Amino acid sequence: MDRRGFIRTAAGTGAALAACPGSFVKELYAFQETANLSHVEARYYKKLADREIECQLCPRKCRLGDKERGYCGVRENDGGTYRTLVYGKACARNVDPVEKKPFFHVLPGTAALSIATAGCNVNCKFCQNWEISQVRAEQVTAVDFPPSDVAAAAEAYRCPSIAYTYSEPTVFYEYMFDTAVEARRRNIRSLVVTGGHINPEPLEALTKVVDAIKIDLKAFTPAFYKDYVRGDLAPVLEAIKLVARRKTWLEIVYLVIPTLNDDPEDVRKMARWILKEVGAGVPLHFTRFTPMYLIKNLPPTPVSTLRSLRKIALDEGLQYVYTGNIPGDEGENTWCPSCRTLLIRRNGFAVEANAIKGGACPSCRNPVPGIWA
Amino acid sequence: MAGSIVAVVRGRGVRARNGEIAPAVLARIYDRGLSLLTGQAGADAALRALFTPSDKVGLKINAIAGRELTSSPDVTLPFARLFSRLGIPDRNVVIWDRTNRELKAAGYALNADGAGPRVFGTDTAGEGYDAEPFVHRTIASRISSILTGRVTASVSFAVLKDHGLAGVTAGMKNYFGAIHNPNKYHDDHCDPFVAELFDAPPVKTRHRLTVLDALVVQFHRGPSFHAAWAAPVESLIFGLDAVAVDAVGWRLVERLRREKGLPTLAEDGRPPLYIQSAERLGLGRASESDIRLVEDEV
Repeated sequence: MDRRGFIRTAAGTGAALAACPGSFVKELYAFQETANLSHVEARYYKKLADREIECQLCPRKCRLGDKERGYCGVRENDGGTYRTLVYGKACARNVDPVEKKPFFHVLPGTAALSIATAGCNVNCKFCQNWEISQVRAEQVTAVDFPPSDVAAAAEAYRCPSIAYTYSEPTVFYEYMFDTAVEARRRNIRSLVVTGGHINPEPLEALTKVVDAIKIDLKAFTPAFYKDYVRGDLAPVLEAIKLVARRKTWLEIVYLVIPTLNDDPEDVRKMARWILKEVGAGVPLHFTRFTPMYLIKNLPPTPVSTLRSLRKIALDEGLQYVYTGNIPGDEGENTWCPSCRTLLIRRNGFAVEANAIKGGACPSCRNPVPGIWA
Repeated sequence: MAGSIVAVVRGRGVRARNGEIAPAVLARIYDRGLSLLTGQAGADAALRALFTPSDKVGLKINAIAGRELTSSPDVTLPFARLFSRLGIPDRNVVIWDRTNRELKAAGYALNADGAGPRVFGTDTAGEGYDAEPFVHRTIASRISSILTGRVTASVSFAVLKDHGLAGVTAGMKNYFGAIHNPNKYHDDHCDPFVAELFDAPPVKTRHRLTVLDALVVQFHRGPSFHAAWAAPVESLIFGLDAVAVDAVGWRLVERLRREKGLPTLAEDGRPPLYIQSAERLGLGRASESDIRLVEDEV
């Protein structure tokens, strides 16, 4: 067995070893004393006979009997009416650099008021926020933070944008949508950080009220999506195409996990697909994996892997390809694809210099796509 | 080779149309069912063969469907009280499920530290889910601290009913209520997830007995209550082989469906495949020829 094969096998057996009762951590993940749930009617579902419903928000199309909950864990059939349990119920709210999302072509150097609720419509084994994404609505401490308060808080904290992030905003669609409407009224932008498992109709509606969408393309093989995401690749690709078609600002992130999705040929195919379907100007971020959740026994992604995959994508013709989670790496910077002038110098989430003037390169006046003011 | 024994005991009149339970009939069902299952004379002797005074007993019920389709306190509390006659103190017997909200909605009075068997959910102060998920085959879940911290001998006291995704929900699937993320395991007719959760050490090492509440069986459009497809079967089903009990429950649901002219669960596109998966994992027997079904009426 070669090294890659060994590591891949170890990733599987590690899960089984963790089943040993001796490895249980007895610290409890407690509920709130009283669950703070909303009972707002959900959008995008179909009523069926006998109090059943079919959710039409995401490709799973959960079909649920009365009192049952969707795969996301935060939407429930209440006597034939589908309800979101997390409308206005934020379990995370922070002021983050917009680069942390990451958005590199959206208002660089500014802060984004970032919110999340519980829940997710996939189950990535490498989830970085599994403690809020892979739980049900009542298993987090949630605060009342209705859309108008979110927008007001963004103003108060001088955040020019609100990011719907951390877990999966598709599952708190109504909350995100209404907040985005309220934010736009106050000239605050809305940024969506999503895995892209959403149906075309709700996504198209969303693109009319938000300003930018970052989609995590977790791999370019259906097998990876099946085995490590519990989702499908095809709808994610359709979501990327739809966002690009709608001309909502789009960035794509690819978390590189050693041996699982770092095949150079797969990445080359992906880069070609992006070039063909979206265009050369979409930023593509190759970010570094760190062991987390159910994949704890693979090493962090080697820096050399990230750099080589970045080079492949650049060689294929994509113009803005970045490395992420390796502070100080040259791949964090934005370069003019036309004259090679350094446009934005970054270090981690910090912007150290920004030379872009009027959305263009100051040297050759080549337009740089993005949201700059 | 002797098959797995599953005892089905009917008590005529045990449950009135308004849901009221006849205590004397219920007591006879317990007495007869446990006797048939163990070969012992009476419920006390039977339970003594299955439990020890040092056991901490948990009755995992399924309260999701509200009063109409949850084992009522009038059914489960008399069973829980039987354990005191074995010398197991009431504080070591708990009737539990996911949330206090669901327990109350099903008619339970919460009792975390009062007299009598305890009744509370995993969301009770001081309880919760273990912080780290345990991983077993395809399952990765935090498990209720009630099961891992308070229970050495678990009784799956489950409601038998049709299930729109799993086909049938019964004793094994009841343990979905012991983990924090059951919503992640309803794909593919819950197969193999139900079997693999039951196979996981925190469950398998504690499970001791299945009691299926088939007093009223929702044989179509479950797991929620629909009067049009709910049959007053007036029975409880007892078994030590969790797979066999579920298989018997499944066949009962199929029989009720057939009697009403409904398609089989397979024809309806939702066969309970997890039962076969459980048999393949060596968790019990599902084939009719491997099950010794004993039926009686009290």
